[in-house]
Amino acid sequence: MSEDTTARAEHPMAGTSSLLLDRTDVELHVRAMAQTPGVRFADFFGSIEDGELMIRLVWGLDREQEFRIVRWPARGTGYPPLSEVAPAAFVEECEIYEQFGVSPGKGRALNRLVIPPRAEHSFPRLGEAPPHDRPLPHAPHYVSGEAFEFPFGPVRGVGQESMYMGLVTSGEELIDLYLLQWHKHRGIERRLGGEEVARALFVVERTEGLSAVGNGWAFCRAVEAIAEVVPHPAVERSRGVALELERLYNHAAAIAALCQSTGLVVGQAQAEMVLEQLLRLNASVFGHRYLFGVLAPGGTSRAADVDALVTLLPPIMDSLRRLVDALWSTNSFLDRLESCGVVTPADAARLGLVGPVARASGQDIDTRRDHAFGPYGDLAVKVPVRATGDVMARMSVMVAEMEESARLTLDLAGAGLGAGTVEVPPATGSALGWCESPRGESLLWVDLDAGRIRRARVRPGSVRNWRSFDDAARSRNVFTDIPIIEASFWLTVAGLAR
Amino acid sequence: MTPEPEEERVAARLRDATHRLFGRSLHIRTVDTGSCAVCESEIRLLTAPHYDLHRLGLFFTPSPRHADLLLVTGPAIRAFDRALEKTYDAMPPPKLVVAVGACPLGGVYQEDEFVHGQLERVLPVDVFVPGCPPSPLALLQGLLVAVGRLAEKVGAESFTTLGDEEESR
Repeated sequence: MSEDTTARAEHPMAGTSSLLLDRTDVELHVRAMAQTPGVRFADFFGSIEDGELMIRLVWGLDREQEFRIVRWPARGTGYPPLSEVAPAAFVEECEIYEQFGVSPGKGRALNRLVIPPRAEHSFPRLGEAPPHDRPLPHAPHYVSGEAFEFPFGPVRGVGQESMYMGLVTSGEELIDLYLLQWHKHRGIERRLGGEEVARALFVVERTEGLSAVGNGWAFCRAVEAIAEVVPHPAVERSRGVALELERLYNHAAAIAALCQSTGLVVGQAQAEMVLEQLLRLNASVFGHRYLFGVLAPGGTSRAADVDALVTLLPPIMDSLRRLVDALWSTNSFLDRLESCGVVTPADAARLGLVGPVARASGQDIDTRRDHAFGPYGDLAVKVPVRATGDVMARMSVMVAEMEESARLTLDLAGAGLGAGTVEVPPATGSALGWCESPRGESLLWVDLDAGRIRRARVRPGSVRNWRSFDDAARSRNVFTDIPIIEASFWLTVAGLAR
Repeated sequence: MTPEPEEERVAARLRDATHRLFGRSLHIRTVDTGSCAVCESEIRLLTAPHYDLHRLGLFFTPSPRHADLLLVTGPAIRAFDRALEKTYDAMPPPKLVVAVGACPLGGVYQEDEFVHGQLERVLPVDVFVPGCPPSPLALLQGLLVAVGRLAEKVGAESFTTLGDEEESR
C-alpha cells in the first residue's frame, strides 16, 4: 500500500490523493477506513482500463479536507462484499454487478438498480454483462402474514417522476417499502464515453436537471484539473452565484412540495410564488430558468446581470421569510413534520448520506466548507446542522441554507463577477471533481484521452440519499407520510437511475 | 402580481377554446418517460398562482381514465414502453398527446438501445412544445394548440354529432 504514482493514477490535484491497493488488502483497508471517525464512504465504481476492470473507491476525509481515491484491479476475482463493513456501498455493489458482471462474492443477494428486468444479455452496459446462466438477482422480498404489497407506480402523481413504490402495509402503517427506479435509466455514463468535453457537459447538466449547476461544476472542475487550467476568480464567483441560485430555487420547491403533501394549499401557493420568482430571477441573471448552459469548460458562457441580482433577490427573500414565519406558526402543518420520516444520525453516517438530509441528521458536512473549491475558500460558509433527523429538521436545514445562500450570493456579487472561459487544451488523465449541489455532494470522476472522455462516473447527491429513503419511510409512518418524506428529501429519480 | 399582456392573451384564448369544446373541464394526465425532472418542475408550476391552470377550465387528474390529454416528458425510454402504452390505452377517446420539451422531440438523446429518442415513434403526438424546459407559458400555448386540434378528433368520432360550426373548422 503506497502513494500511487503510476500512469493511471488521478491527476495530482489539491484536496485529493490516490492509492493503489492489492486485491488482497482491500477488505482490511475498507474495514479500517469504515471504522475511522470522520471518514465517509463517498463513491465506489468500476472502469475498464487497458481491457481490465479497475475498481475505485472514494473516501471523504472531511476533517483532513481530502478525498482519498483507492483503486485496485478486479481481474476476475471481483472484490469482497464491502457492504458488510461499509453498508453505504450496497447500491454501488448492485451497480457494479449490473454494469460489469462482477459480484461481491458468490451467492450475495443484490437489488436491481437500473438495468430493466428481462434485459437481453446484449443490453448496453459499461462492461461485460453478468453471466448468462445467472439471472440478475433481486434481494429476497417477502410479504406474508397480515401484510400485503400495495403497488404504486411507475406512473405516479401529477408532475412527479416515474418510479415504482412497493408499499408493504397491513392497512395503514407502513411496514416496508422498496423502490424500483430502472424505468428512467438513460445510460448516461455509457453515453458520455467517447464524447468531447463540451458535448459531455450538455449531457451531464441533463442527468439531473434540478442539479445542473452542481453536477456541471463538478464535471468542469475534473476536466480543468486534468488540463491544468484554472478559471479566473471572478468567473469562479459567477459559478458560485449560479450554484447558490440553484440551491435557493430547489429549497423553495421542496418547501412548496412539503406544503402540498400536507394539504396546506395557502402555504403551497405562497411557496410557489417564491419559487416562480426565483426561477424568473435565474432567467434575469443568467438567461435560463434552470441555469442550463451557464457553465462551460474553463469558465462560464454567460455574464451575470448583477443589477438584476442585487435588486430582485432581497424582496424575494422578504417574501420567503414571511412565508416561513407563517409556516413555523401553523401547528396543523408542523404536526405532520415532527417525528415523521426519521433518519437517525447513526444511519446517516453509516449510509454515507450527504446534503440537507445528512445535515438534518447531525452530520456536520458540507463540501463547500470541508473541501473548499472555487470561491468558497474565502467565504466561511455557515453550515446548519440539526439533530432530530425528521422532516421538520430537514425543512429547518433548508430554510437556514436559503438564508446562507442569499448571503453568499450577494457577497459573491459584491466581490465582482466575471464571464468568459480560459482555453481547456485536450488533455489525458483522470481526476475527481466535486461540488455541493442542492441535494448534497456531487462527485464526478472523469478519465480523458486527448480531450475525449474514456469514462465518466456521475454521482449526484441523489444516489447517496435514496439509500436512506426506505429507512426513513419505515420508521413508524403511515401511508400519507410518504409524500411528505419524499418532499423533504427532495431527490430526483433521474439522478439515481441516470 | 400583474400578468403580462402575452400571458393574458394566451390564457384568454385557451379559456375560450376549452370552454367551447369541453364545457370548462379538460383533464390532463402527466407521464414521465425519462426526463431530467426539470420539465416536471415546470408542469407543477402550471397550477401555481402565476399561471393557475384551473381558472382556464383545465385540470390535472391522477387517473388516465379521466384524462383527455396526456402530457409526456422525456425521450421515451424503451423500458417504459409498457407503462406508457397502458396509460395511453386507458384514456378514453378522443384523446390528445402533448410532448413536452426537447427530449421527446429528439433534441437530447438519439435513438439507441435505451431510448426511442422521439416520442412520435411510440405515440401519435398532436403537439410538440419545444424548449429545454418549455416555460409554463409555452406549455399553456401548447395546450391551446392541442385543444384547437381536438375539434378534428371529436368530429371523427362516429358516436358524436356536432353542429355545422364545428364541422366546418
